[in-house]
Amino acid sequence: MKGTELKYEDLEGVFKGLLDKKVVDCLVLPHRTGNNVSYIMVKDGDKIESPASAIFAPSFGVNAANIAKGWTIVEKVGIVAKPCEIRAAIELIKLKQLDPDSVLLITVDCSGAFTNEVYAEHFAEIGDLVDSAKIEGLKGKGIAIREACEICEHRLADFGDVIIARENGEKVQVAGLSEMGVEALTALELPLEDKEIERKEEKEKIVAEAKKREEELPKISSMEELEEFLRDCIVCKNCRDMCPVCYCKECFFDQPLGNPTGGDLLNLAGLREAIEVPANRLMYHLTRVYHVSTTCVGCGACEDACPKGIPLTRLYPVIAEKVQEIFEYVPGKDVEEPLPFITYEEEELEDKLR
Amino acid sequence: MGEEAKEEFEPKIIGFTCNWCTYAGADLAGTSRKKYPPNVRIIRLMCSGRLDPMFVLKVLLNGADGVFIGGCHPGECHYIKGNFYARRRIAALRTILKQFGMDDRVGSYWISASEGDKFARTMKEMTEDIKKLGPNPMRGKIL
Repeated sequence: MKGTELKYEDLEGVFKGLLDKKVVDCLVLPHRTGNNVSYIMVKDGDKIESPASAIFAPSFGVNAANIAKGWTIVEKVGIVAKPCEIRAAIELIKLKQLDPDSVLLITVDCSGAFTNEVYAEHFAEIGDLVDSAKIEGLKGKGIAIREACEICEHRLADFGDVIIARENGEKVQVAGLSEMGVEALTALELPLEDKEIERKEEKEKIVAEAKKREEELPKISSMEELEEFLRDCIVCKNCRDMCPVCYCKECFFDQPLGNPTGGDLLNLAGLREAIEVPANRLMYHLTRVYHVSTTCVGCGACEDACPKGIPLTRLYPVIAEKVQEIFEYVPGKDVEEPLPFITYEEEELEDKLR
Repeated sequence: MGEEAKEEFEPKIIGFTCNWCTYAGADLAGTSRKKYPPNVRIIRLMCSGRLDPMFVLKVLLNGADGVFIGGCHPGECHYIKGNFYARRRIAALRTILKQFGMDDRVGSYWISASEGDKFARTMKEMTEDIKKLGPNPMRGKIL
């Protein structure tokens, strides 16, 4: 990997340079408006102002990969986002929902994020940047990061084309991971040198902490508990729409079989004596658990999207992790690694079948 | 109802079998007059790879007590690799169902067209296993 050390204020030049030197045709990056941080798509570099105040902001609104889902474009778009969002984008590339040549994925270190509404409300206390100590302090005051972030093992930027790794003293390491990433940085005429950004110790600490937090989460351990857990669900399917890796153009649950209406519903009610309406609540969630089981990056967008406040992080990412374990698959880790369901080994998994 | 409850619980098992191996195996069990419990209702698929895990979820939510999945032995699929894909899907599905204590209700077996005996034996074993588990907790629920 090739990279260089920069100061926070240099980042503005980096992003402007990417646009000015035509490395990318446009950039999707976090933008600060007062207390809020949200994504903008920029074509004119002059619109980028002090990006360091926004790109590290611990605020999660939408998953940036969800914005890029299903794009068919020839232009190149740079996406500056947190590790979970970039991992989702990499999964979308594998799912053929994103052209790898049309995106430059720029990953930024994350320390865990608040939902965007909590972030905006408590901006005075949270500020532009947080670290784990500050997050602990805020938790004491009742300002907690998202549950998905609490159990996240991938907070460090080590995926994507370019990484922006935070260092002490308002400094960052900017490095190209892929060939495309190195080319992009070379075009910016940055003083690149060979380097290894090894943060093994930090990473181990994050993983251990995340595993501990996950253990503490309430478990859903029977069908009755699952029913209870999903009792308030109104089958609005927002969790699906906001999920970056739920990508079917025509969802089964938008079709007559999955979303019966009118006469179909009457027939079903007649057949089963009584049915719940809206129909298929449990079926919908269980199917979605299966469909995202190998690709779920655990970003928690489903939970944020739920209008009824169901803590879906305890369902989707937690179960997905168990499935990913049996295939030894980490979504978003490697763009070359095939998805578990499109490959196989001749001898495997026999102990998991009965 | 009182009379019925005293009777032994007879599980309903839905079987998904591949056309080329397990279905033919079941056929052989029949033609060679092997005895096995009548609890399984077989649905023939062209390949175990055709089995969408949603089928399994659906029958479980609709109250089936067990799901039997039968395919050709790995490496002997009529379509070369259909059962390799099926194996991965079933493994993932059972991992999910395990969280809710439902995985033991789903079993998949590799039974070839010449293994009528194995088919009958598997049916017997599976019926016994499901009897021990008791009725599906989702049975009779308004869903």
